[in-house]
Amino acid sequence: MPHQMDEQELKSQLNLIESMIAEGRRTTEHWSWAFVLWGVAYMVAIAWSMWGHATTLAWPATMIAAALLTWLLASRDHEKRAETTLGRAVGSIWLAMGISMFVVFPVLGFTGHMTDTRIFVAVASAFLGMANAAIGMLLRWGAQFGCAVGWWAATVLSCFVSENQSMIVLLVAILLCNIVFGIYGMTREARGRRARGAAHA
Amino acid sequence: MPDLPDLNPVVHGKMRLALLSLLVGVDEAEFTWLRSKTGSTDGNLGAQLLKLEEAGYVAAEKRFVLRKPQTVYRITEQGRQALMEYVQALKQLLGSAIEA
Repeated sequence: MPHQMDEQELKSQLNLIESMIAEGRRTTEHWSWAFVLWGVAYMVAIAWSMWGHATTLAWPATMIAAALLTWLLASRDHEKRAETTLGRAVGSIWLAMGISMFVVFPVLGFTGHMTDTRIFVAVASAFLGMANAAIGMLLRWGAQFGCAVGWWAATVLSCFVSENQSMIVLLVAILLCNIVFGIYGMTREARGRRARGAAHA
Repeated sequence: MPDLPDLNPVVHGKMRLALLSLLVGVDEAEFTWLRSKTGSTDGNLGAQLLKLEEAGYVAAEKRFVLRKPQTVYRITEQGRQALMEYVQALKQLLGSAIEA
């Protein structure tokens, strides 16, 4: 009989509601692997475009492969899936940025305006800076906003150096803002999972 | 002494309360996700979700992802309202328990 519930039971029901709501909202944390994957994909695209065959295909082919791989890995991770508004907002920003890049760069290439590597580095870094800044602000995550600053710095720097140096700028930005940041994120997620496991035990 | 509210018996069960609370924080969730968060068995989870579905508190949708069947649940407006009323009732009961 509900009226006969004591104070302790009432509090435990409220605690259950609170902890489950918090648990439900903790679902956007497991995406750091995607930063590493895309960081590696950028590196592969750069290497292919510099030393491979059919270099015009390097970026579009690698980016399409990375997008498919991301979708495949995300779909396979269905053991622990729930969709939140915040998660959808984050995903939408990445998707919108990806579509923008897939529109801008091929068009610049086909029309013959992609004559300077610095333009590519500056524009790509600016897009990545915008996406990271928006998500960093959305998640109130300083480290991701730091990545945005890194990408914006790459945008500025690439305009003041030679074409070859601009590729080095891009490589450093990818290393720091994608690969190192992704590994940091994965470590943080693993630590969070361990802490939650201990709390549930 | 003010009238004490009755607690909704559908929401009151621990597992059903946990499920509604989980679903209120997300847009939609898969069966396997709910199972991992509640630590429940398939049978118990399915039965509790069915009760919530019958009460109109959750809506289920079956779909295929990578050729694998997937059942996705979301809380309905009615379910959200029931959970809110349940929390209000709990708070009122807690207030009266402290006063007593």
